[in-house]
Amino acid sequence: MQVTNKLSPFFENLNFERDDNTMVINFGPQHPSAHGQLRLVLELDGEEVVKALPDIGYLHRGIEKMAENMTYNEFLPTTDRLDYIASTANNYAYALSVERLIGLEVPRRAQVIRTMLLELNRIISHLFFIATHALDVGAMSVFLYAFREREFAMDLMEDYCGARLTHSAVRIGGVPLDLPDGWIENMITYTQKLPENVKMYEDLLTENRIWKMRLEDVGTISAENAMSWGCSGVMLRGSGIKYDIRKEEPYELYSELNFDIPVSNSCDSLGRYKLYMEEMRQSARIIEQLVLMYPKTEPKLMAHSPQYISASKEEMMTQNYALMQHFVLVTQGMRPPKGDVYVPTESPKGELGFYIKSEGEPYAYRLKCRAPSFYHTGLLQELLVGTYIADVVTIIGTTNIVFGEVDR
Amino acid sequence: MRKYVPKDNVQKKSYYTDRFWVAPRVPQSDVEEGSHFASVVDALGDRVLCAYISLGQLIVTIKHQDNYSTLETLKDECGYKVCTELSAVDYLAQDGEFEIFYQMLNLDDALRVRVVCRIPDGEAIETTVPLFKSANFAEREMYDMFGIKINNHPFHKRIIMPDDWEGHPLLKTYPLQGDEFASWYEVDKIFGKEYRDVIGPENRDASRIDRYDTKRFSRVGYEVDFDADISKGESKTPIEYSQTVLVDYTTGTEQLDERR
Amino acid sequence: MAQHKVDFASNAGLPIALTSVDKLLNWGRSNSLWPLTYGLACCAIEMMASGGSRYDFDRMGTIFRASPRQSDVMILAGTLSKKHSEFARRLYDQMTEPKWVISMGSCANTGGMFNTYATVQGVDRIVPVDIYLPGCAPRPETLQYALMMLQKKIRSESANMNNNKKQDLRLI
Repeated sequence: MQVTNKLSPFFENLNFERDDNTMVINFGPQHPSAHGQLRLVLELDGEEVVKALPDIGYLHRGIEKMAENMTYNEFLPTTDRLDYIASTANNYAYALSVERLIGLEVPRRAQVIRTMLLELNRIISHLFFIATHALDVGAMSVFLYAFREREFAMDLMEDYCGARLTHSAVRIGGVPLDLPDGWIENMITYTQKLPENVKMYEDLLTENRIWKMRLEDVGTISAENAMSWGCSGVMLRGSGIKYDIRKEEPYELYSELNFDIPVSNSCDSLGRYKLYMEEMRQSARIIEQLVLMYPKTEPKLMAHSPQYISASKEEMMTQNYALMQHFVLVTQGMRPPKGDVYVPTESPKGELGFYIKSEGEPYAYRLKCRAPSFYHTGLLQELLVGTYIADVVTIIGTTNIVFGEVDR
Repeated sequence: MRKYVPKDNVQKKSYYTDRFWVAPRVPQSDVEEGSHFASVVDALGDRVLCAYISLGQLIVTIKHQDNYSTLETLKDECGYKVCTELSAVDYLAQDGEFEIFYQMLNLDDALRVRVVCRIPDGEAIETTVPLFKSANFAEREMYDMFGIKINNHPFHKRIIMPDDWEGHPLLKTYPLQGDEFASWYEVDKIFGKEYRDVIGPENRDASRIDRYDTKRFSRVGYEVDFDADISKGESKTPIEYSQTVLVDYTTGTEQLDERR
Repeated sequence: MAQHKVDFASNAGLPIALTSVDKLLNWGRSNSLWPLTYGLACCAIEMMASGGSRYDFDRMGTIFRASPRQSDVMILAGTLSKKHSEFARRLYDQMTEPKWVISMGSCANTGGMFNTYATVQGVDRIVPVDIYLPGCAPRPETLQYALMMLQKKIRSESANMNNNKKQDLRLI
């Protein structure tokens, strides 16, 4: 038999004997709808939440500390594990901040591929959102349908970079590979099919009585509150503030692309769910424009900047100095200029920014990842108060938090 | 002779730096007259110690006592209604100070300002939670990671590390792989200190494989009992699956021919 | 009534299958393994994908349960942080015997790329592990293969858990 260890039985989970007639329950850190490792300490009066205390840190892995001990290129694959549902968005945000720091121009074909991957990742992430959100609320079949489409999108990612989840498909200074043969065609097939599928989820959910009852007027965030809590992305646009970093502070090719930013004034979970659905359609639209851009670009994938970026494989194998420079960059790492930079990007979850403080060393002096989910988790302590216990999972689902980037 | 490792900064360093190498700087420009940023600098008045524009963002240096009033002015007068990010940088080794930055966003004009202040070690900084609720979590994280105390914070506790953790992980004096306390944390908590010997120290070499360790490793096709002694070699236990043919390339090619 | 080919009269009158208790119990145990949905990090997404429509874990008799009391196997999918380690052990204690553990992904096996202060360097410091599943993150097929290996392992074990040598590590 198993011998008992030091851990005492855990009775702090339920506490009935309190003077104020409230009950304290512990939600998580292992809960199927906690989206990872969120622990909530909820104080309940009957079924109503009177106090909520999000407890995070159960997935803290010291990624910021790792950044101080890794060269810039070494750290890039670690950013995959921040928001692991949309890895390319993290890779890209990190690569972009380093590129801004060293002032690098990325070749146009790399830009096209990067934007394509970013939008494909947005689709993957939003499909995941709708799958898990629906599963939490109780709609199992949407989970199965959404995962079906997600697998096809993952196939495309896999065709490009070989990984399903942790892509590292974006590098500092460009992308490592060109699109494989037939990829564009598969992509077009996928993006043409996607609006139909999105329509199907909407048919299943939008007018569904249970779905509406569970989501309507649940998790209402006023515009004032959304700004004060540092909300971004869909959480901000769901409260009627039209702010999308892709439009307002365009990076990559977004200034040349035609797309709409859906905004909802309903401020509740249902409004935000509709935004997610619309954003998927817009992403498909963006990809269709990018597909047309792709053939017009020159086949150059990495920026030419010998001080920071290794030369192409072909140059490395034919030219001595390119190889020497490559050795230096691999063994010592690039040394960006002294200074600091904060670059915001629009990840599927919201504003993902990297603050990098460089002291001119190959190791970042300080790297701070501004994760949208971190602030959305903070919002929970106000959002959950006054709601019923059954709405807690809806609200956690609608914030779309991913604990890889909450705890880092 | 043992290699000298500075105690005040135990993070990884470049093993070779050319002695003539001078790090360039990120380009900085002055604030242009009449621009939006100039009005921000004017609104802040004499609280501004230094202001410049770097990579499209205004960077304002202030004294750490002014942090609340500066952010209040930015929020109420200049329209910087969102505090997107707030954290610290450890400069204890060089200057005995922390650098704290507040990253502000103006949603109407899509402009960003970074407010930077320096705070000596051991001093506490005023909270900004009454202005921005997002600072609630961010300041707790700053306290957790650097040990910078926050005055008047509504819930001044650790957020990411456990409450009984020792040390502040993002300090430059804190090693990446943790100190003595960190390395035994889970063992002490679950089993107690007396089990340290049973479980043993952490193996920090992820690629280490002990060929004869049958507690943790087993070879496909050569499975043995848990904790069996295989120093004399193990016997082969073929696994059968439908569709699966195991080919032993070392013994001969008959199987391989069969498979073809 | 259908005509059966089996002539019961010639087989001592009853349909009899001969087996040992070990085999019968292990057959039952191995063919409906219910894992605990213990998603910790990135691998949890792949674990969900293997339960999703393409990979369809249900066909292997595997249904994810949200409660440790109802589950047989704990799939530790992802990085186990030191803050969380206590809860991992607690959940393991709450599971009923017989129970097995799959450590999914490099982080759970050895700490993986997160060789830092906050990560448990291998979940085998906390709970006894039956199957180590490499990869970062392992594909759903890999998880399914791991489950098949676990089934194989269960079938080769003694049905009386006290006879299995695994008990040694459970003492800690």
